[in-house]
Amino acid sequence: MLMVQLACPKCGFVIEQYGAEQLETDAQKQKRYQYLRKKQSLCPSCLTQTAKLEERRVELEAPPQAELMAEAEAPPEARAEGEAATPTPFCDELERGPWPSHVTELKQTRYHMQMYEEGLRQKRTQWGFGGYTSIPGVASGILMRASARPDIAKGANLVRAFCPSGTFYSTKTFRALCDVADRHGYGILHLHATTCDIEVLGVPKEELRATVDELVAAGLDVGSTGDAYRNCQECIGPLRCEMVLVDSVAMRQAYFTRFLDDVQYPRFPHKIKFKLSGCPNDCTRSQQKGDIAIVGVFRDPPRIDEARLDGWVKNGGDLAHVVRMCPTRAMEWDGRRLTIDADACVRCMYCINKCPAIRPGGDRGVAVLAGGKMRGKYGPLQPFLIAPLVPAIPPDFKEVFDLCAKITDVYDEHARRKERLGDFIYRTGIDEFCRLVGVAPTPQQMVAPRINPFYHWTPEELQASRKEA
Amino acid sequence: MPGVGLPPLEQNLPPIVLRNYAKWVDHEEVRPGVLKHVAESGEECYTVRAGMPTNARVSTVLARRIADLADDFAGGHLRFTRRHSLELVGVDPARIDELIERLRGLGLPVGGTGRTFRNTVSCTGWIHCQFAATDAPAVAKAISDELYEDFLTERYPAKLKISISGCVNQCGEGSTADIGIVGIHRDLPRVIDEEVARCEIPLIVSVCPTGAIRPKPPKSVQVDPERCIHCVACAAPCQGMQIGDPETDGLAVVVGGKAGNSGNGPAFAKFVIPYLPNTPPRWPEVTRAVRQIVEVWVQGARRDERIGDWIARIGWDKFFQKAGLPMSDKLLDGYVLWPMSARTGVRFHW
Repeated sequence: MLMVQLACPKCGFVIEQYGAEQLETDAQKQKRYQYLRKKQSLCPSCLTQTAKLEERRVELEAPPQAELMAEAEAPPEARAEGEAATPTPFCDELERGPWPSHVTELKQTRYHMQMYEEGLRQKRTQWGFGGYTSIPGVASGILMRASARPDIAKGANLVRAFCPSGTFYSTKTFRALCDVADRHGYGILHLHATTCDIEVLGVPKEELRATVDELVAAGLDVGSTGDAYRNCQECIGPLRCEMVLVDSVAMRQAYFTRFLDDVQYPRFPHKIKFKLSGCPNDCTRSQQKGDIAIVGVFRDPPRIDEARLDGWVKNGGDLAHVVRMCPTRAMEWDGRRLTIDADACVRCMYCINKCPAIRPGGDRGVAVLAGGKMRGKYGPLQPFLIAPLVPAIPPDFKEVFDLCAKITDVYDEHARRKERLGDFIYRTGIDEFCRLVGVAPTPQQMVAPRINPFYHWTPEELQASRKEA
Repeated sequence: MPGVGLPPLEQNLPPIVLRNYAKWVDHEEVRPGVLKHVAESGEECYTVRAGMPTNARVSTVLARRIADLADDFAGGHLRFTRRHSLELVGVDPARIDELIERLRGLGLPVGGTGRTFRNTVSCTGWIHCQFAATDAPAVAKAISDELYEDFLTERYPAKLKISISGCVNQCGEGSTADIGIVGIHRDLPRVIDEEVARCEIPLIVSVCPTGAIRPKPPKSVQVDPERCIHCVACAAPCQGMQIGDPETDGLAVVVGGKAGNSGNGPAFAKFVIPYLPNTPPRWPEVTRAVRQIVEVWVQGARRDERIGDWIARIGWDKFFQKAGLPMSDKLLDGYVLWPMSARTGVRFHW
């Protein structure tokens, strides 16, 4: 079988390979291949940066992963044994105090405590260059980190896996995860990283593949690194919340069904983080950090259950306070009757959270926002509203995800390398971005209309005016 | 082999959750750390929430003990919240006190619901990161110790979320929280010519947001100190661009972020203390500043007002006065989005 490989020019380690035939027919893999060819990579074998990967065409009988991995050098990290004897006064200080300490946890594992101790003592990190990398068959989910102190530890890799729905674990899955961390890593888990990925730290490079396979066997697929769709975070939603307006858990399942290839094969200009919140309370903080934020919304004004309201007030519910704290002063309460001014109400959920007799209104769907991020060129940006109310129809949520795919297609097509979606939208302008995506403008997209007249007219629009004149 | 996607719901969800999927009608907080959810059928579901070791670092030793508790008390299921607290769902109400004792035995405090200090979120810091200007987990630990009592009891007007990022990449999401800590570098990146020669120089030049990086023939780059904003962007794609200086690195304090739409709606936190030095292992200046901000909020805010909403009502000028925070030229924004934060009228809060 003719294979096309991309290999490290220095040590010859194959970073990724595809069957030549598959590469010609599969558009996703083609994009991934082009993406890899153009960028500099980090070689998991010799731990150096390579400017351009070397392309090779080879005739192979069987998939060569096992044999190539065996060629890799000794593990980047020697297991810490007998290190506990070295004193760690700074770390010990962090074990004091009532809150459970990460140091206590680290000390019970094979983590190199001196790396952390030296960091605290010298006031600087002891870790060196690192980044996301891939091994054949695993394009996303592995991070390598070299050490600036090879005398203590040579480096430590980690494997990232997706948390199960609602971040619920059966103890069977959870123990299987512990087993993997004990067998291949330092025995420390990160539960979770901030995008709700599980991280298994300290995996030697020979064992990366086995770690991945064992995690997948336990039902924890790996990914969420690199310039790809990242793990998608959802709120607990239908699993244990009465506020939820759309089925956020089913939506995350549908996301992984539809976009799994985009999640596991990085090929975009930069990472794309998805966040799903079932209601405007936004428990996943999507409106701050979602490159694509999907938030459940409702259009009809909140419903008031009069009978229940009576009971709630009689039992000591402080309705006057709720009315006073309504952010848009849309509520009125004369001691007997509660009214909500539908024109002033912004459906913020405040009264709904505080008073069980007020429930969300009907006509529900999701709002789609794009471009949130915490870093990048222009600093933290909240995502911009693209569409205020998209129907969310299970099981595949086609309308929602079609729009998301269109947004990322435009991003893929037009953005510069390592430019986050938010920076790209900021650069092009929300007007031009919406034109490119092909969504109709809505008044909900503006806090206020623009205060300058510097917009563009197309030749067709001018022509139309001329005709009329 | 990857490519499987998510496991089916049944594999990890407890039966009580599956039975009442999307059929919840009500919830109440029984006491800090204990929630009761009620389903359409009238079925009640008790949840016990506990704080986790800072940075959500859990050894498999502790993880297995937690799994034992989950088997014993919650039918073999457990979950973690979006702020990485531990939750045992579907606990028998008669055994809640026993469970709380057992969790305490593992060192995990029960609380963090309602108007309390919530579990902190932090990035990995100096445990395993090349960029971190400050050690987020240790700062999180120091702050969590300081506010420990407030995790257990409801003393605040509203919830208080604190997040800590080790650098401006904000993996720890400092800017999203009510009070955030953001590690900052203050010195220029050091350019190691021979390493840079092996990197993609056009990429290093193009990722710089301010155009501070120029090619330096034959195969290196130079950094313009006037333009560099210490954003760490160039350090990610090339190992020859090295940031981090133990003497000048430190952290900043931000205040008033939140994601929910109630109050004034979602907003990022704003920088109120531009720089504090790194003082490991306990960062006393930081805990002092956090305590100071929390106390003025507790005194001044109305019930249900989160810090950002309270400050929006009284104004940032008044907040600085009340909190006794010094003004600095570093707090006035001069970057691309600066007109968003500059005052254009004379409506002061003296």
